[in-house]
Amino acid sequence: MRSVLRLFAVVALAWWSAACGERGGATRLTFSGSALGPEATVVRRQLARFAERYPGVDVELRVTPDAADQRHQLYVQWLNARAPEPDVLQLDVIWTAEFAGAGWILPLEPFGLDADDFIPAALAASRWRGTLYAVPWFVDLGLLYWRTDLLDAPPRSLSDLGDAARRVQSAGRTRFGLVWQGARYEGLVTVFVEHLSAFGGGILDAAGRVIVDEPPAVRALTFMRDAIGRDGFVPSSVLTWREEQARFVFQNGDAAFMRNWPYAWALLQDRSRSRVANRFAVAPFPAGEGGRPAAALGGAQLAVNAWSANPTLAWELVRFLTAPEQMLERARLAAQLPSRRSLYATDALAEALPIPVAQVRQMIDAAVARPVTPVYSELSEMLQVRLHRALSGQQTPAAALREAAREIRALLARSGLAAEDQTP
Amino acid sequence: MIRQARAIEREERRLARWLVAPALVFILLGSFVPIAATGWEALHGHDLRLPWLGRPFVGLANFVEATGDLRFRSALLHTVTFAVITVPLELALGLALALIMHTAVHGRALIRLAALLPWAVPTVVAALVWRFMFDAQAGIISAPLLTFGAVGESFDWFVHPLAAWVPIGAADIWKTTPFVAILLLAGLQTIDPALHEAARMDGARAVRRFATITLPLLRPALIVAAAFRMLDALRLFDVAYVLTGGGPGTATEPLSLYAFIALMQHLRFGYGSALSVTVFLLTFGFALIWVRALGRPAVGDRM
Repeated sequence: MRSVLRLFAVVALAWWSAACGERGGATRLTFSGSALGPEATVVRRQLARFAERYPGVDVELRVTPDAADQRHQLYVQWLNARAPEPDVLQLDVIWTAEFAGAGWILPLEPFGLDADDFIPAALAASRWRGTLYAVPWFVDLGLLYWRTDLLDAPPRSLSDLGDAARRVQSAGRTRFGLVWQGARYEGLVTVFVEHLSAFGGGILDAAGRVIVDEPPAVRALTFMRDAIGRDGFVPSSVLTWREEQARFVFQNGDAAFMRNWPYAWALLQDRSRSRVANRFAVAPFPAGEGGRPAAALGGAQLAVNAWSANPTLAWELVRFLTAPEQMLERARLAAQLPSRRSLYATDALAEALPIPVAQVRQMIDAAVARPVTPVYSELSEMLQVRLHRALSGQQTPAAALREAAREIRALLARSGLAAEDQTP
Repeated sequence: MIRQARAIEREERRLARWLVAPALVFILLGSFVPIAATGWEALHGHDLRLPWLGRPFVGLANFVEATGDLRFRSALLHTVTFAVITVPLELALGLALALIMHTAVHGRALIRLAALLPWAVPTVVAALVWRFMFDAQAGIISAPLLTFGAVGESFDWFVHPLAAWVPIGAADIWKTTPFVAILLLAGLQTIDPALHEAARMDGARAVRRFATITLPLLRPALIVAAAFRMLDALRLFDVAYVLTGGGPGTATEPLSLYAFIALMQHLRFGYGSALSVTVFLLTFGFALIWVRALGRPAVGDRM
């Protein structure tokens, strides 16, 4: 009996010291983000280079679900439990305020960052109450794809767009005029944000007051509804479509215009699958009365876990990943747009990106962020439901937005975030 | 002597308790504890995204909020309406299917296999197939309607707030009718053929025999099938989640889906738990009433 115990103790001790040795040898840093297809290649390559630069640091990639909702849920669970890993997190632009407000990510001011170069809208989405909590990593922009074989120039105004769409459609040259993402999900809000901007409206104003029930917003939603119903240049099925369904339709040559993200460019240029290769270009979503051209801002940011065991090292990784060289490599391999403005003037980016940089550059300036608030996901869901009701004819745009505004005000009040009282 | 017997009996009873204990512990851990934990969470204000608000005890505030929540009310209405409409249809179709399976002489095995197939298909897969069938552009259900002019070019099942229920109902009925049929088939097989024989001798026609022999004797099986189906229908989730996601707007959102959204998307654990508890109380309350009202005499007197 005793010999068995002794043997057990020896084995346990050996295992323990081996485990300690492993841990003592290298500092471990974990990075979590999307690693699907070309993104995986980029991330792995760059993490390996970082590890080379810092001998003794072991960088581990923790792959999280590609679906934004699921990754968000996972992060919330980890951070609520104060897990020290992952040290560096890839956040969707709309999550930063939520995580900052909850105290889950570190304020980055103490580390010192030259923020001037970043796209203003992306930088604004990285701040919460004036403090920087994340660094923009890459950006996504809502683009208006238009057919160069059917039209001479991109529409200069929203009514121009409607006229052109109807003209092409009624001449029988395409089945639909314009297609976008109208299913009840986050994509619908980004489409709405572009229409809002076109009419000079917004969801929240600079002081955090709810303005989504004001006349410009009602005009924007009425335009969207009429485009489906009265004017008929948008098919009602868009209310069940996400990005891919819209792309399939445009790719088959069935639409004159499509609102979609940059990822679609390379796929639409693939001659073996696409009927519109070399017959399209991109432009910002045009302005209506009283508004300005807009491109909804999406994309990712990098932040440091507030419970990280090595915050300084984690910050070094953030700085490394957001350096110009890494962004250029990402643009070349994964076609993701850099968040640094200065890169758009370089030949290096022009060579790296599949989309002509000249067309992208004007969209960078038109980028519009979605509301920056810790309760964004719930706010967005309230809006999605009301927008979807109005667009499917269950409510008038004015009534739908009035109720959305009422619900959002109640949400902000309940969360201690109402504009009148800014302290939680 | 008697005292000794009593002692043995006591001893055996103690042993019995020990033998039952492990099973009880598992039941307690497996179902009672999670339900109690959800019930306890439902009494708290707990929003995962607003940790600075803490997790205060709020009593029944979440339930009070639910009664004033229009989305909750319409979800409740959707759930109950869905159950009340689909379950009788499933019972009727299931009964017809069971009678066919019961009376079929040739190819029995093949008929049973064919009838049971939908039940074997995973719900999510089945729902996706139905989604394709109702697709406005290429679906095999929409295309002929469009050709004959029954619907306009712009009609889309999933965009119309009432029409969107049709695919959900169709998928659910298609999927669960075999389950009902199997339960009823088992019931049919317990009916003594001699009863039918005697009735035939007395000159009763098929309809009369069905109404006076088959249906009354099938009552226990029908009650069980209805109870199972009602409980499932009141917890409707996957078919709606896959087919419509609750849309357009929230026109097809059942209670379980709303509870899921409150919990997993809004991350309002307190409120979401309150909604889950409501679903639980709804199904549990139904089961209790159903068993009390119909179950007892039917089970008691026949055996």
